[in-house]
Amino acid sequence: MRGRQLAALVRKDLRLELRTRETIVAMVLFAIVMLVILEFGLGTRDGDLTRFAGGLMWVTLAFTAVLGVGRSYVAEREQRVLDGLLVAPVPRVVLLGAKAIAILIYMAAVEVVVIPLVGIFFVKGPYWDSIGWIAITALLADVCIALAGTLFSGLALFTRARDLILPVLFLPALVPVVIAGAGATHAVAGGPHDMSEWRGYCLFLAAYAILFALVSVATYDAVFDD
Amino acid sequence: MTDTPARIPGERAALIWGVLATILVVVASIGVFLVAPGDADQGIVQRIFYFHVAIAIVSLVAFAVACVAGILFLRTRRERWDDVGEAAIRIGLLFSVLVVITGSIWAKASWGTWWVWSDPRLVTYLIVVLIYAAYFVLRSSAEDDRRMRYSAIYSIAGFASVPLSFYSVRVAESFVHPVVFTRGGANMPGSMLVWFVVSQAAILALFIALLEVELVGRRSERALRQLVLRLENP
Amino acid sequence: MSGGAQYVVAAYAVIWFLVLAYVVVLAARSARIGRRLEAITRLLDRQEQRADPPDAPGDAP
Repeated sequence: MRGRQLAALVRKDLRLELRTRETIVAMVLFAIVMLVILEFGLGTRDGDLTRFAGGLMWVTLAFTAVLGVGRSYVAEREQRVLDGLLVAPVPRVVLLGAKAIAILIYMAAVEVVVIPLVGIFFVKGPYWDSIGWIAITALLADVCIALAGTLFSGLALFTRARDLILPVLFLPALVPVVIAGAGATHAVAGGPHDMSEWRGYCLFLAAYAILFALVSVATYDAVFDD
Repeated sequence: MTDTPARIPGERAALIWGVLATILVVVASIGVFLVAPGDADQGIVQRIFYFHVAIAIVSLVAFAVACVAGILFLRTRRERWDDVGEAAIRIGLLFSVLVVITGSIWAKASWGTWWVWSDPRLVTYLIVVLIYAAYFVLRSSAEDDRRMRYSAIYSIAGFASVPLSFYSVRVAESFVHPVVFTRGGANMPGSMLVWFVVSQAAILALFIALLEVELVGRRSERALRQLVLRLENP
Repeated sequence: MSGGAQYVVAAYAVIWFLVLAYVVVLAARSARIGRRLEAITRLLDRQEQRADPPDAPGDAP
């Protein structure tokens, strides 16, 4: 029952997105522009940004996440879908899960572009062998981003100046994800191949996801309580 | 109608804790500067440690109080818990700003630079300041019932981010810089430990006193608002 | 000053300055409450003088 509700809600988000394609296309473009800006902004003399590749990747993904998460409730808000959803006999946890899955899919779509581009643009040295490990890191980080993002965008949704509130709430909470994502990427890409370091960061990301899942499930009822 | 208004609850507690905090702060300052032995390595600079660390610990206590108040608010929906949460975070934020500033001064004194990204505690407190400063941005842009609910949820989520930030910064440090700076603490001689405990008690009492004063102020503000409402619509 | 004493002074000065500033903010708030209460009292006095029956609105505790 809940599984079907969840699937229906996720399908609703994805169908809306496929019809307009406004969020994902904007996110991908934003991420590419961001990578280019970072390249010129850092502009090292020898042109070798391998040491910064993981950091560039995760800074880009973090800002793109803020952009995508900010868009994630717009349809619900503008077309008054939310009123209907909240009246429908759907547990709030299912709403939370559906939104988180939608964000997860958006982020994964962006990463399909960003992760190879980082390799092409910035990394001199082994990268493509460890792209599987980077993908696992990215998936774990996406779960973190999706859970924290759903909670914070729910909070920002009905505030004044919500486009401004969301980054202020969301980015500090994303700092650990950026640290761990960049650390894990650096552990396996562009030279060293330190699996124990990579595992440490990934375990941390899993712990982050579990903690935020608990907080979200415990508090999400109160987010839409009116 | 009586002429002497009833005491606002908490007024006496504020007074008692205020007096206690004052006494403890004076005793701790005397102890820290005049009695405690100098540190062999760091000399006088080590005396920043006592209040710096005590304030750091109490700021975490404040955020824990706010988290518990948030949970209680969501359970009971009583405005009182919203008051406690906001007051605790306000004081906790003040204290974490103090931690960052004194930590930076300490970094200058012992390592020669104002900011060291490789000291996990300093960096974590900077992140903590950012997390809890956002609390007030959120508060100021929502109203009434929503403001209280969102604040409660954010104080819980914020408190979850604190250990995550600390741990992530530490993990990154342990891989990148294997040298961990130790600032006394683990193996402190007993004569220093005594004064550290007194400083800790002093700052804790200061926190409770400030919290009580905040709560009394908030209660009076609310009473005043209700009075005005009543006068406007008799 | 020798051996970094100036840093210790600076650190404690910052601590007490900010804590005192916070206490001043608290005091300012309580002063504001007091001022508003006085204004309300004056208003009630004037109303009582104008209308003879002394049970003006707001007489409730």
